[in-house]
Amino acid sequence: MPGKAIGHYPTEPLKCWNKAKEIRRQYYEDYRTAHDRGGLRWGGGAWTLDALVWGLGDDCHLLTTEPYSASIAFNKELSAKCLEAAEAKGYARDLCAYVRNYIGGIILDKYAFGGPFPKLDFIFQEQLCCSQAKWYQVVSELEGGVPMYSIDLSVGPYKELNETRLQYLVEQMQDGIEWLQKTTGRKFDDWKMIQAIYNECRCTSTWAEICCLNKNIPAPLDEKTMHSLYSLATLNKPSKVVADYYEELLDEVKDRVARGIAGVGTERCRVITDTQPPWGFLSLYRYLESYGCVSVGSLYVFGLEGNFEVKPDGTWGARTTPQQAGITFNNREEALRYYADWNMSRPQFQHFYGPEYKTEMLLRIAKEWKLDGVILHYNRGCEGLSIGVAENRLGLINAGIPVMTYEGNMADEREFDEDRAHARVDSFMENLGLERLVAAHG
Amino acid sequence: MIEVFRDRFEHRHEYAKDWQKRTGGKVLGYFCTYAPEEIMYAAGILPVRVLGGHEPQALTEPHIFGMFCPFCRDCLAQGLKGSFDYLDGIMLSQSCIHLRQAYASWRIHIPVSFQYYLPFPHGVQNKPAYKYLTSELRTFQKAIEEWTGLKISNDALDNSIEVFNKNRRLLRQIFDLRRAKHPPISGLDAMYLALSSQVVDKAEHNVLLEELLKRLQASAPSGNGNSHIRLMLIGSENDDTTFVKMVEGLGADIVIDEHCTGTRYFWNEVEPQEDRLAAIAARYIDRPPCPAKDWPDRRRIPHILSLAKDYGVQGAVLIQQKFCDPHEFDMPAIAESLKKEGVPSYNLEFDVTVPLGQFKIRMEAFLEMLRGEELF
Amino acid sequence: MITVGIDMGAKTTKVAILRDGQVLARGLTPTGFDQQEAAEKALAEALGQAGLQKSDVARIFVTGVGRQQASFANGALTEVAADAKGSLLLNRDLRTVIDVGAEEGRAIKCTAEGKVADFAINEKCAAGAGSFVEAMSRALEVPLEKMGEMSLRSKNAVAMNAQCTVFAESEVVSLVHAKTPKEDIVRALHDAIANRIVSMARRVGVQETVGLIGGVAYNVGFVDALRRCLEVGSVWVPPEPEYVGAIGAAVAAAEAA
Repeated sequence: MPGKAIGHYPTEPLKCWNKAKEIRRQYYEDYRTAHDRGGLRWGGGAWTLDALVWGLGDDCHLLTTEPYSASIAFNKELSAKCLEAAEAKGYARDLCAYVRNYIGGIILDKYAFGGPFPKLDFIFQEQLCCSQAKWYQVVSELEGGVPMYSIDLSVGPYKELNETRLQYLVEQMQDGIEWLQKTTGRKFDDWKMIQAIYNECRCTSTWAEICCLNKNIPAPLDEKTMHSLYSLATLNKPSKVVADYYEELLDEVKDRVARGIAGVGTERCRVITDTQPPWGFLSLYRYLESYGCVSVGSLYVFGLEGNFEVKPDGTWGARTTPQQAGITFNNREEALRYYADWNMSRPQFQHFYGPEYKTEMLLRIAKEWKLDGVILHYNRGCEGLSIGVAENRLGLINAGIPVMTYEGNMADEREFDEDRAHARVDSFMENLGLERLVAAHG
Repeated sequence: MIEVFRDRFEHRHEYAKDWQKRTGGKVLGYFCTYAPEEIMYAAGILPVRVLGGHEPQALTEPHIFGMFCPFCRDCLAQGLKGSFDYLDGIMLSQSCIHLRQAYASWRIHIPVSFQYYLPFPHGVQNKPAYKYLTSELRTFQKAIEEWTGLKISNDALDNSIEVFNKNRRLLRQIFDLRRAKHPPISGLDAMYLALSSQVVDKAEHNVLLEELLKRLQASAPSGNGNSHIRLMLIGSENDDTTFVKMVEGLGADIVIDEHCTGTRYFWNEVEPQEDRLAAIAARYIDRPPCPAKDWPDRRRIPHILSLAKDYGVQGAVLIQQKFCDPHEFDMPAIAESLKKEGVPSYNLEFDVTVPLGQFKIRMEAFLEMLRGEELF
Repeated sequence: MITVGIDMGAKTTKVAILRDGQVLARGLTPTGFDQQEAAEKALAEALGQAGLQKSDVARIFVTGVGRQQASFANGALTEVAADAKGSLLLNRDLRTVIDVGAEEGRAIKCTAEGKVADFAINEKCAAGAGSFVEAMSRALEVPLEKMGEMSLRSKNAVAMNAQCTVFAESEVVSLVHAKTPKEDIVRALHDAIANRIVSMARRVGVQETVGLIGGVAYNVGFVDALRRCLEVGSVWVPPEPEYVGAIGAAVAAAEAA
């Protein structure tokens, strides 16, 4: 069985790791101090069409909700306070966990990176899962009525995207641009938006390329490491800084592949996960590694922001950017059409319309990334990404892929049982015929 | 006369099977009330709403993660059990994430000869939604025509729209009578009226409603003050008749509702337009919204407040299916708005079955509190 | 060859001694706070029963939540694997094994060789585990060991509406006050827990022969409820269902040649 022998690969920390941390730190600092520099602060999720807001200037700073909420969740003490505050205000305990962390932070007036919560000037959001726009409706109210516009993205799967569906998106975007001008009093600059679109395409495509390098054995990166890297795209995908960074990272990862550098030296069993991990318990990955089992990615890490396409040889690769394809946008309409199309092809947009889309992607990844199994997180904290997970499980089993499931919550630590999750890993490893690398007895 | 409506609802499967025999037509099950029924009806189809069975079941765990609402799991269970074996097809008008899974698992595991996923827009407050939905309805119409082998003419649409509008009008007229001090029908009765409409041929239902309306208008309830507390039910999907009966047995009148299986289903009519599909699209876009589609402004709340005022509501019971995120986003805002208008509210989470003993105690306490407020 | 299996459970520690596929002896002791000590005690008891010394034992394998604590063991395996191996040793026809313990319910799909093909576990819900029955026996003031036979005496199926243990308790009180015969209430409780277990079991697909192991298997009422809910002719229960995990560990020890 592949992967049975214990791996003895050399490993190295990433040279550009610190740069990622710095970019993130700077991002949160820029958000907080935006007003000091005459800029604006705005709210939106990881899937908001942020390149549009760049048309107002590059001093509009987005606080992307989900990664920010994940940062709160990572800080167990703060998270507990935020969750309680949200629940005390009447928000149900089973509501999206990110939402409760974020709302709680506003109620307590605490910014996860110190000081009071820096108020939003406007909200420019989208709706795909049921929570996204509703979340900001509440945020707007809690902050005393922040102007809000939200674009409906739920037009069906990419392979069924037709002219009328595209038009619906583009018209909403056109309306959105008018709204932005009216709300901020700033003049919209198409050229600035177009640059932002180019950057976003470069950013999300390069990230996908990096993910594809994990098809190699050993994988140059492990999922846990990738969390800190892909999240930069969720923070600021239309920024030149992040796009440039990913190109630098890509070079380094290519070099690691060339030299056979592994993310985890003992790699002998490869899996992926499917959705957010329990942010407060990333040690679960270290537990997997104690079996020589490495998660080489996740549909979530790959496809939340990363964009892929099927290459001529039938395998998944990074989606060709407009720059690479020699496409330029002559006017606003063209840019918006392309941008809408780019977003719609995103892997994690598809499963909202049927579980088979996700199962198909998981099977493809299992094949091309040479996996021994798949781990599905029955994530109570996020309906959007766990929709259909039970059918995904059946689909994988039917295709003969070993599956492990565990219940948890990505941002509510009260709903994660570490011991039980470990027990699941034990059984899964047992089924795959693997023992712990460090002897448990004697 | 209400027993007729109750009977239609409680024996809906038999009704549908009988309808199939009588007419030779197709029965199409839909999962969410954003389904454009007028189009299906115009093709001679009987659209029926898929509802749960209110019995604990052990069938859906392999298909739907337990953290999704009990209603969607209950619906799927009924499908897996075979209660809906007579359905010729299923369709879902995209709304919440939970119900989508009932539809998807049904589509995968239960054989039907027609299935359709309509990507109904969530952005109903964005102007482009009208044009978009109209075009999606055109595609849906073509699919229905292909399936039935019948072309749907404008006349057929007009007739269908009129049947549906009449049904909505009649229901509203009857519900209107509940604004009286002595509502001529109970909340439970009203529930049967609304529920039965969702599972039978509306032309037949209209005949029954007309008869009922005549009778209600003829008899005028008299008497002195009504000591019953006037309640409003607000929430998600609710066809839990046992619960409603229990509450009204405690000295309360449920005089109006704003929930999925009640008034939200039939509140507004189709306004005529040259393009019939555009007219239908507008009706569904402008209807009292499901929370998943009520953003960025809150249109539900002004509607709820106006209903509360109109019907002289003293207290509101906020019911939601357990785990329903869209409703959970709305509940605090609804409770607060009602409170500002002097209407206290009480939250209850519903499951496939509800613990009546527990809920009775809470409702008694709530009513006591409301009565206490009346004294001062 | 003589092997030993120790199941270090949260409440009790069980030992089984196996020789050439035959169970020679068993031992059981409350786990208490010192898991190592409990294991040694139960082992000593079983050895005494079999008339053997520790030196006669070729290998010792452990399972159960406390398995990391047994320093003297030669190997370990999860409860899921142990359940499968133990069950198949006792009954080669089993293809679905259901284990209901105090805190957890498990359903395991087994191959003919005793390997785990798939499994499901009841997560974070007491209403699908033994402690539910215990809580209800207290609410009804019926001794736990009488619950099973009492439920078999019921002639009426009464619907239990509450989905949650906490609600179920007060619903039971309401039913008692409504003069519902206790047998009917007890049966309804068993049906409710069986329903939850079967719901979980369906995740792995139920294939006959179905076996029930773990402490709750002593409850004849539950066995009957399970059988009816699964819609099978019968549910197989071993003579001493709480030892199956330990037996499975002993089998694993024998296989690790």
